[in-house]
Amino acid sequence: MIEWLHPGLIYIFGALLIPVLKGRWQKAYMLMLPIVALIDLTFMTEGTYWSFPVSDYVLTFGRVDKLSLIFAFVFVIASFCMTLYALHVKENGQHVAAFLYIGGALGVVFAGDLFSLYIFWEIMAWASLCLIWYRKTKASSEAGFRYIMVHLFGGICLLAGIILYVQSTGSIAFNVFDWGLGWGYVASYFILIGFLINAAVPPLHAWLADAYPEATITGAVFLTAFTTKSAVYVLIRGFPNVELLIWLGVIMALYGVVFAVLENDIRRLLAYHIISQVGYMVAGVGIGTAMAINGASAHAFCHILYKALLFMGAGAVIEMTGRSKFTELGGLYKYMPLTFWLYMIGAFSISGVPLFNGFVSKTMIVESAAGSHLPLVWLMLECASIGTFLHTGLKVPYLTWFSRKEPVVEAKEPPTNMLAAMGITAFLCVFIGVYPQALYRLLPYTVEYAPYAPAHVIGMSQLLLITFVGFWALRSKLHGTPTITLDTDWFYRKAGKRFIWFCEKPLLKFATDIDKVMKDLANSFIRFSRNPMAASMILITATSTRLLTPFNPAYRQKGQELVEARKQAVEEPMEKMSIGMGVLLVLLFFAFYLLIYLTHGVLWA
Amino acid sequence: MGRRIKQKYLFGILYACIAMSLIAGVHVQFFTHFHADFVWQEIPGFSAIYGFFGCVAIIIISKALGHHWLQKEEDYYD
Repeated sequence: MIEWLHPGLIYIFGALLIPVLKGRWQKAYMLMLPIVALIDLTFMTEGTYWSFPVSDYVLTFGRVDKLSLIFAFVFVIASFCMTLYALHVKENGQHVAAFLYIGGALGVVFAGDLFSLYIFWEIMAWASLCLIWYRKTKASSEAGFRYIMVHLFGGICLLAGIILYVQSTGSIAFNVFDWGLGWGYVASYFILIGFLINAAVPPLHAWLADAYPEATITGAVFLTAFTTKSAVYVLIRGFPNVELLIWLGVIMALYGVVFAVLENDIRRLLAYHIISQVGYMVAGVGIGTAMAINGASAHAFCHILYKALLFMGAGAVIEMTGRSKFTELGGLYKYMPLTFWLYMIGAFSISGVPLFNGFVSKTMIVESAAGSHLPLVWLMLECASIGTFLHTGLKVPYLTWFSRKEPVVEAKEPPTNMLAAMGITAFLCVFIGVYPQALYRLLPYTVEYAPYAPAHVIGMSQLLLITFVGFWALRSKLHGTPTITLDTDWFYRKAGKRFIWFCEKPLLKFATDIDKVMKDLANSFIRFSRNPMAASMILITATSTRLLTPFNPAYRQKGQELVEARKQAVEEPMEKMSIGMGVLLVLLFFAFYLLIYLTHGVLWA
Repeated sequence: MGRRIKQKYLFGILYACIAMSLIAGVHVQFFTHFHADFVWQEIPGFSAIYGFFGCVAIIIISKALGHHWLQKEEDYYD
C-alpha cells in the first residue's frame, strides 16, 4: 500500500496519456483524473510525506496540513469544472498544458522545501504560457512572450532569494521567513518579489491584464485560478503578518477597480478584478491574525470558483459571437439568457451579495481589519466592494446582455459541456454561500465568525443596493470606448522599445564613429612611419590648402597636387595594419609592465 | 410586458428594498445589542451614504484619470 500519493503527480503523469487516447475515452479519462485526485485528497491525513535527503538537504514533496489541504481541495474541485468546460476542445496540447499547469500548482501547495517549490513554480509558468500561445494570434504570441519574460524575471528573483537564504541559514525548509529592514533580510526581499510577481501586486501586475485576455477561451479559465492563488498560498506560508502586505493589498484592491472602469475588453475587465480580489487576500495575509488568515484562505477558495464562473460566462460570449469588446456587444439576452443568469451568480458572488460565496469570505477579511483597528484599510476595502459590484455585477452584464434594444449579432447558447461546467460552478458558489460551515470546517484555524449577523447583512445590502442607483444614474458614462488603457507594462512595451531604438541608432552610431576615428588615426600613424617625409609634406600641404584657399584662390592649384601626392602614397590593406598595431600594443604593454616591475619590484604589492 | 413597465417595476422593488434595509439598519442599531468598531458605523445608514458617494467617486476619478492620461488609441502599441 502506498503511504501517500502526490495529487500533483496524478495530473502531471496523467497528462502524458491524454494524447494517446481518443474521442469519448479521452473525455472520460480527463474528467476521471480530478475525481481520482479528489479521492486521494479526501483520504489524506496531515503529516510530512515523500522526504528525500539529497546530500546535505532534504527535499519534501508532501507537507500536508490544513492550509495546504484547503488550497489543494479548491484546485482539484475547480480543475474538474474547468476540464468539463474545456471538454469540446480538439487540441490535445491544450489539455496537456492545462493538466501540467494544475499539477505544478498542486506541487507548489504541497512543497515543504524551497527547491521543490521552485521546480513546480517554473512548471506552472511554462505550462500556463502554452495556454496563452494556443490562441495562435499575433496578439497572443506577443502577450505570451511578455508574460514569460516577466515570469522568468520573477523566477530568477525567487531563485536568487532561495540561494541567499540557503547560504545564510543552511536549510532549504520552506517556513516563515525573517522580516525586517536591513541588509540581513535581502534573501527575504528577493523571495518576496518572486512571490509578489505571481500574485500580480502593482507595479508588478501588468502581465496579468496583458496576457489573460489573449489566452484561449478555455485556457483563460484555467489561468484565473492557479498562478495568483498559489502565490497567495506561499505568501501565507512565508510572509504572514508583514505590514507592507496590508498596504500593497489595499492598493491592489482599488487599483483593479479603477482600471476596470476604463476597460473595453470583457475579459480584461474581469482580469483587473482578479487583481482587485487578490488584493483582499494579500491584505488579509498582511493583517495576519487567525481570522485574517482564515479569511484569505476562504476568499481564495471562493474566488477561484466565482472567477472561473465569470470567465466561463465571458468566454461563452466570445466563443459564440467572436467579439470581446463592449463597443461591439449588447442585447444578447435574447439569445443567451441562460449564460446571463449563470454569469450573474458569479457576479453576485464576487460582489459579496448575501447568500453567495463571496459574502461569507470577503466580509471575513474586512471584519479582521476592523478587529485589528485599521480604519483606513476597512474603508478602502469597502470601497473596492462597491467598485466590484459596479463593474462585474452591473457594467459587464448591462453592456453585454442589455444596453441595446436589438442584439448586435446573432448567437446561441454555448455547447452543453460549457453550460454544465458553469452550472456546477454556480451551484458550488451558492452552496457555500448558503452553507458556509462546509467551507469553514476546512480553514486552517478554528472559525469564530458569524457571516450572517444582521449588521453584516444589512450593511452589505445597503452598500450594494445604493451602488445600483449610482450606476443607473451614471450609466451613460460607463459605456465602453474604443481605447486601450496604459498600465505599468508601458515600461517594457514602450520605454523598452525606445531603449532598444536608442541602442540601435544613436549609441551604435556613436560607437562606429569612435571606431572610424581610431582607424583613421592608426592609418595615419602607419602612413607616417612608412614615409615620414612624404606624409608630413602631404599633411602640411593639406592644412595650408584648407586654411589659405579662402584668402587666395590660387591655392586651389595646390589641391590638385595633393590628390596626386596621395595617389602616389598607395595605402596598404587594413588587415596587415591591424596585426602590426596589435603587436605594437603588446610590446607597449610589456614595456609598461617591465617599467613597473623594475621600479616596484612586483606588480602589486 | 413592455420594457418601460418592466423597468418601472424593477425600480419599485429596488427602492422598496433600500427603504427596508435602511429601516432594518436603524432597528438593529437602536433596538438590539449593537457593537460599532468605528465611529462612523454609529451614523444611521452609513453604508448607503458611503456606497453612493463611493460609487460616484470611483466613476468620476477613474474617468478623469483615463481621459487625461491613461486611455490611448487601440493601435498605440503597434
